[in-house]
Amino acid sequence: MTQKIILLLIVLLGLQSCKTVKEYEMQKINDTEMKLTAKTPERYETTFQVYREAAAGANGGKSGGGCGCN
Amino acid sequence: MQNKFLLLLVFITSLTFSQDKEVTKDTTVVFKKRVLESTEVDFMVSYYKQDGVHSSVSGGMGSEKLTNLASNIIVAMPLNEDDVLTVDMGLSAYTSASSSNINPYNKSGASGGGGDDDKNKLLDGGGGIVAPTGTPWQASSGASAQDVLASAVINYSHSSDSRNFIWNADVAFSNEYDYTSIGFGGGIAKLFNEKNSEISFKINAYLDQWRPIYPTELHEYGIYGAGFQTSGFFSGITVLDQSGVASTAYLPSKFSLWNSTARNSYSASVGFSQVLTKKSQISFFFDILKQEGMLSTPYHRIYFADKANYYIGTASDIPNYESPNNLGVYRLADDIERLPNSRFKFPIGMRWNYYISERLILRTYYRYYTDNWDITAHTASVELPIKITDKFTVFPIYRYYSQTQSKYFAPFEKHLSTEQYYTSDYDLSTFNANQYGFGVSYTDLFTATKIWKFGLKNIDFRFNHYDRSDGLNSNIGTIGFKFVVQ
Repeated sequence: MTQKIILLLIVLLGLQSCKTVKEYEMQKINDTEMKLTAKTPERYETTFQVYREAAAGANGGKSGGGCGCN
Repeated sequence: MQNKFLLLLVFITSLTFSQDKEVTKDTTVVFKKRVLESTEVDFMVSYYKQDGVHSSVSGGMGSEKLTNLASNIIVAMPLNEDDVLTVDMGLSAYTSASSSNINPYNKSGASGGGGDDDKNKLLDGGGGIVAPTGTPWQASSGASAQDVLASAVINYSHSSDSRNFIWNADVAFSNEYDYTSIGFGGGIAKLFNEKNSEISFKINAYLDQWRPIYPTELHEYGIYGAGFQTSGFFSGITVLDQSGVASTAYLPSKFSLWNSTARNSYSASVGFSQVLTKKSQISFFFDILKQEGMLSTPYHRIYFADKANYYIGTASDIPNYESPNNLGVYRLADDIERLPNSRFKFPIGMRWNYYISERLILRTYYRYYTDNWDITAHTASVELPIKITDKFTVFPIYRYYSQTQSKYFAPFEKHLSTEQYYTSDYDLSTFNANQYGFGVSYTDLFTATKIWKFGLKNIDFRFNHYDRSDGLNSNIGTIGFKFVVQ
């Protein structure tokens, strides 16, 4: 586990060395479809997945509350 | 005259200077872009329908038919240039064959602790009791067949002048018939490297409370103890053994009513995102989740392999109990599921999006999950938005999921009464699932279509079909409208 975390940190630090993209060059990055989050209507799919599957979290959404028991 | 002229000059100069200062001040205000230009309103509706053959209410066997209609309204209001208040309110109504069978034995019962219509029996014309029947394969018409969940979340966020630091705080509340949840949390996000990098940290706590309802037969045992077969619901009711012969030997002695009803969840999340090139960006999420308290569900039945079987209903259906052809008999439970009072979850996820062309974008997601109940899971999904015109985007969706079972899981009638923890909830079993669907998105940045003061900015429609390898399948459709107040 420790090795995996170290590897992840190295990858993250490596990403820092990427060439900086200037704000005026971010037209494509700022496209609404490029957002690094789940889309708002996707929340209902996430909810039923949390109910029907054991795994949850790490998707930027809600990770607790409610019984989810039906 | 010269003095007056000089005085006028000084006055005008001072005015000009002061106006210059005002201009500078005004200019500062003008060029500070608001975080949110105007109030936005999202309205969403979702319809979900599922079916399956492993109802956890019936001990891992039986109908899982369920429908759910949910809607939310989200209002995001700019309070000033830097602060946004978001209010999210929702209603979700379900009907469920599975939960209806908390009380499968009559047409009116619910096994709610206080309101207790378990005693309500069907009477024939002469005032005699009509022998109750039930089946795990069909819904009963008990009150627990349906419920409504109401929820509200209020979030406040503040962005720094540079927009490189954001903090937020939220409170949440939800309530349904047998469950109430109160949550609160907050987070911070820091952008750096010319907004190419972002690191965020978030914590949340949910303090939940059960109002447990139990399967009818266990509820009656919990209230009346060893003499329960001559009291309450069981008074005058015939219990059958495996041979279909009347018996009074049924005694779910392992069952006891919960003496605690709290379930608390705590989470901490770290996120990191990075612009890789002009066309791609990536993000990582790492969560630690802890749950404690009553993590079992009080109406999930358990049937032990080493205990005799007892039924209520039609004796001739007993040999076909596990077949969907059984329409007349229901087995009495030995206990409800028992799970440990704590659980740690460790999910780690990443998203990577790539702008292939003006018409095509690739959105990907992967998550690895593990917990201390011995479950590991992998999730991968991909979306491919295709811009048909400036306003219309269509996107196919695919998602794959697989998990290994919890060490506390065993199928219907496989647990032994000597075990400490047990569940027959197939949501904790080994399975894989495929989800595929599509979405259509309409976007009008100029909000040409207006309804009163609301300009329509966006419509999103999504449809997905979900197939689980244990036989559960479902469909979900969602439509969302985004309006901008003008």
